[in-house]
Amino acid sequence: MTIGDPAWRAAVAEALDAAVPGSVELGALDYVEQLLGALDHDPPRIWAAPGSWDGAGGDRPAGAPSWLELGPWERQAWERRIEGWREAYERVAAGRAEEDDLRTVHVHACEGTYGDPAYGGNRDGGGWARIGFPEPLHPPAREVAG
Amino acid sequence: MSTWDCDAVVIGSGPGGSTAAEVLCAAGWSVVVLEKGRNHLIDTEPPHDPLRHFANDELAAHRRHLLGPDPLLEPRSYRRSAEDGDRLVVGEVNNLPSTVGGGGVHADAKLPRFREEDFRLRSERGPVDDASVEDWPLSYDDLEPHYAAVEELFGVAGEAGANPFAAPRSSPYPLPPGDDMPMAVVTAAAAARAGLHPYRAPTGVNSVPNDGRPACTDCGFCGGYGCPVQAKSDPVSALQRALRSGRCDLRPECYATELVLDATGRRATGVRYLDLREHPEPATREVRARHAVILAGGAFETPRFLLRQGLGGDLVGRFLTYHYQTFTVGMFPRDRFPDGTGGERGRSVTHLHDDLMVDTPELRRAAAGAGLPWVRGGVVEHGAGQMPVEEAVTYGAGPHHLDSMRDSALRRRMWVFTMQGEDLPQGSNRVDLDPSVRDVWGLPAGRVTYAPHPHELVASAFAGPLHEAVLTDAGAEVAFSATSPPQGDLDVHLAANPLGVAPASRHVMGTARMGSDPATSVVSAEQRLWGVDNVLVCDSSVFVTSTGYNPTLTLAALAHRATTLLAGAQPSARATASAVRRRKRS
Repeated sequence: MTIGDPAWRAAVAEALDAAVPGSVELGALDYVEQLLGALDHDPPRIWAAPGSWDGAGGDRPAGAPSWLELGPWERQAWERRIEGWREAYERVAAGRAEEDDLRTVHVHACEGTYGDPAYGGNRDGGGWARIGFPEPLHPPAREVAG
Repeated sequence: MSTWDCDAVVIGSGPGGSTAAEVLCAAGWSVVVLEKGRNHLIDTEPPHDPLRHFANDELAAHRRHLLGPDPLLEPRSYRRSAEDGDRLVVGEVNNLPSTVGGGGVHADAKLPRFREEDFRLRSERGPVDDASVEDWPLSYDDLEPHYAAVEELFGVAGEAGANPFAAPRSSPYPLPPGDDMPMAVVTAAAAARAGLHPYRAPTGVNSVPNDGRPACTDCGFCGGYGCPVQAKSDPVSALQRALRSGRCDLRPECYATELVLDATGRRATGVRYLDLREHPEPATREVRARHAVILAGGAFETPRFLLRQGLGGDLVGRFLTYHYQTFTVGMFPRDRFPDGTGGERGRSVTHLHDDLMVDTPELRRAAAGAGLPWVRGGVVEHGAGQMPVEEAVTYGAGPHHLDSMRDSALRRRMWVFTMQGEDLPQGSNRVDLDPSVRDVWGLPAGRVTYAPHPHELVASAFAGPLHEAVLTDAGAEVAFSATSPPQGDLDVHLAANPLGVAPASRHVMGTARMGSDPATSVVSAEQRLWGVDNVLVCDSSVFVTSTGYNPTLTLAALAHRATTLLAGAQPSARATASAVRRRKRS
């Protein structure tokens, strides 16, 4: 079983939904896949630039960078971190998950449900909507809360 | 070719280093600022505009180490005492941001001054067994002009006279207070009914457009986040002025590793650093300073830097203090928090009260009951709960998840009093070099050895029930208190959250304390390193006591004073010039 193949996706989706019910429908699996492949992009998809996801009414300026650059040492740290997560998800997919692996799945399910949609999860802000969290502002502007 | 690259090298670009750079550049000095971390704050090229890397993004700021340091590159270790062995935990311990702007980037910029008593604690309150309570080698009056100057520099928003316990001021706050958090108004009213004296927090956040930067938009992503619109003023205002003087060379990703000394060993001539833009073998470079080297890496990194070279004597790293934090949590009914009135919009903290910093018969009785001569609490912040990712992680995995998130005890229904309790200095509490853990560049990691004094526990036990009653009066259905570091069974805490056993406070102080006697201090009253007197320490390392107030304004005022004395400038004239510039812009 390799990352991204149907069996892997099915097993990981099951684990994500067990951790955070409804997370896969909201994009948590896409979040995990984007995270595990983040370094395949240039710039890497680790830190979204402001406005990468601009919400329903947003308007990111044309040509604005969508991801921030990693420094070389930061890239080294993220290579190590992601390699560890890839191994964890391989164990999850193979039914050999350890306690730390399931903790990782839970954290990623939370991030993929309630984090910024630029990272691949929280589809259309649906995670925020289901808990009544007001969509973050971009660009931040003075508004009447609520 | 000149022998020197600059007049002064500043190590660290946080509030202390940036203030030092601004003062020296204004005095006509050329300055190189070395910053270990990345630059997400300000363009190093003219006209030095904001880089605008920050967003309302919980993942980047809180889960993905945007502000650094990455604990995989720069681990730290913690233990309570030597009885724990070499360490209890390794990882993210007391990490202030490692980035251009330092701790000023993530803080929500509460900038209270200390009070007169804070500088004379031994004289005013007396000694405490097993603690090193000392007077500072300067008074509030000595520092007051510099408080005024940095308040101007940072554009502090506040309300003079609102806090009855505040020290005298020579000038009003430069800006009016910002918007109140709606729930803070509710808890402030309850605090007042309990006989406390809440007031609007002085903050380095623009309440109105100032210094070319906009007013705060109350976006809600404040404490722990870089400001997307740069309404937070410290330290961007100081850095920007230093850069725009044309005399400041800001060098991100430059990790200072060694002080270069002359043949006598008593004078610094420069700094060696690793150029972290290079990978995997960063070059070692040197920058040569004609007059001075300023250490401003913070109270964790500054002693680590000195200890690597054995500089500063046996007291370097000792008398580490934090603020012993007591969190009193109130869970409110949902209808008490209409949409948007919790922490989802607005600044993190808009109200404070100081009452437990003041000597009262009740506090004296609490102290006497524990065999202590006196006890002081700390400033109490009225603040909101968590953001959704952190909240979701806290609830744990399983079928209960969605019900917990919708009920939202930790976000929508929570309000918290955080007491930044005074932490008495103890020689056994310290930062030193871990014997085997190293950073990715091969340098020994910093290690914290820390356990609270009974004073902190007594103050916390006094504050908890008092604040629970206030939150209950404000409408909380449930109120309870907890502390950091946590009390109780260590094994239980280690199992739940290993790194949670270390102090969570980012207020790190006292590891190179100032004094009048080299036998009992690391730096002089002018913050010069005993024995190498053209090296100044301009961060919270020099604090003699921790007080119970947020440290940033005081460390910046001290940096302002030390570098003003170094350069021979006059603070009152500088403050006046700053005020005139501000008025002209407005």
